[in-house]
Amino acid sequence: MDIAELKAELETLHSASFGWALSCCRRDRGEAEDVLQTVYLKILEGKARFRGEAAFKTWLFAVIRKTAAGEYRRKLLRSLKLITGAEQTGDRASPEAGPGAAFEKSEIQIRFQRALKSLPARQREALHLVFYEDLSLREAADVMGISIGSARQHYERGKKRLRETLDTTEVAYGISWRRKENPNAV
Amino acid sequence: MELVGEEKKIQTLFSELRLADERTAPSFSATWNRAQARALRPRRAFNLSFAAATALLICALVSLAWWSRHWQRTRQPNVVAIAPSGVVPDLKPSEVAPASKVSPTPSGSEPKKPASAEHRFEVSARLRAERLAARQEANLLANAKKQATAISSWQSPTATLLSSPNDDLLKSLPQLNESANDLKSFLPNTPK
Repeated sequence: MDIAELKAELETLHSASFGWALSCCRRDRGEAEDVLQTVYLKILEGKARFRGEAAFKTWLFAVIRKTAAGEYRRKLLRSLKLITGAEQTGDRASPEAGPGAAFEKSEIQIRFQRALKSLPARQREALHLVFYEDLSLREAADVMGISIGSARQHYERGKKRLRETLDTTEVAYGISWRRKENPNAV
Repeated sequence: MELVGEEKKIQTLFSELRLADERTAPSFSATWNRAQARALRPRRAFNLSFAAATALLICALVSLAWWSRHWQRTRQPNVVAIAPSGVVPDLKPSEVAPASKVSPTPSGSEPKKPASAEHRFEVSARLRAERLAARQEANLLANAKKQATAISSWQSPTATLLSSPNDDLLKSLPQLNESANDLKSFLPNTPK
């Protein structure tokens, strides 16, 4: 596959790749952009090479996942060393953190994203790949580098936990609303 | 994958999320161009961590080489020094001869093989080892003597408490053939 073909394929998958990078970076938009850029750089430099052993999307997603993990490790190391950690986090304003972005989202979406963040990484990844990227469990397992059995387990447990978390937040919201309506009730 | 009930709900939530992400996703061309620019950027020639690792490796190699050389030098004399004096091989007079004498003989006689530097070094090492062994033996002997004298002259710290001015009386017994006057001396409070 030459560079022009690669570019065309990457362009087709760009938004999906960005979504996956966002999931791998725990919804940190700035970090996701960096990761995606690094992935493209790796492809340009030939450090990541597609050999046709899997589908292009599966391969690309696996590269994104590995790169995000590497970036996360590096970030962790940097924060441990306390080198310019504060500057970088201060400079990079995540659009999600802004008030405008929060207003755009519906309350359900906010709760859903909170619930997603509370999930363990593997479970979150399995759910994202199946529901967001429309991959089969086998493809998701390939991306995550695990067996299909493990992928299925993560998927099932993730679903269960997500449902539980959403249920509990609904209950909690209900109580808070009732308290707001009648503060003298208790 | 066929979705039912709750799965459909989750699917809906995820598709909403995807739509939101697609709206805010950066353009492909911008990301690609930035990546290309990064690829064209010259690499930093000096990598600090790499330099530190290389320096550390060189230090380790040098110290290893120095240590192995030192160990090889010290090994032979130590082995001879540890061995008992009888085990130390007797040196031939030719070997004991000083370095100046070991030099090649006059051309008239049978041409002797000139002693190599290695051989000379071996001989001097042996001599040194023998001298060291002798010195050690002498030291050991002197120490043993010192210890023996210290043990024989040792006195208990409470020995002085056991001695008294009447030791002679206590340690002697009256004889049967002694005179009555002499025997009276053994009696307490009797004027002599």
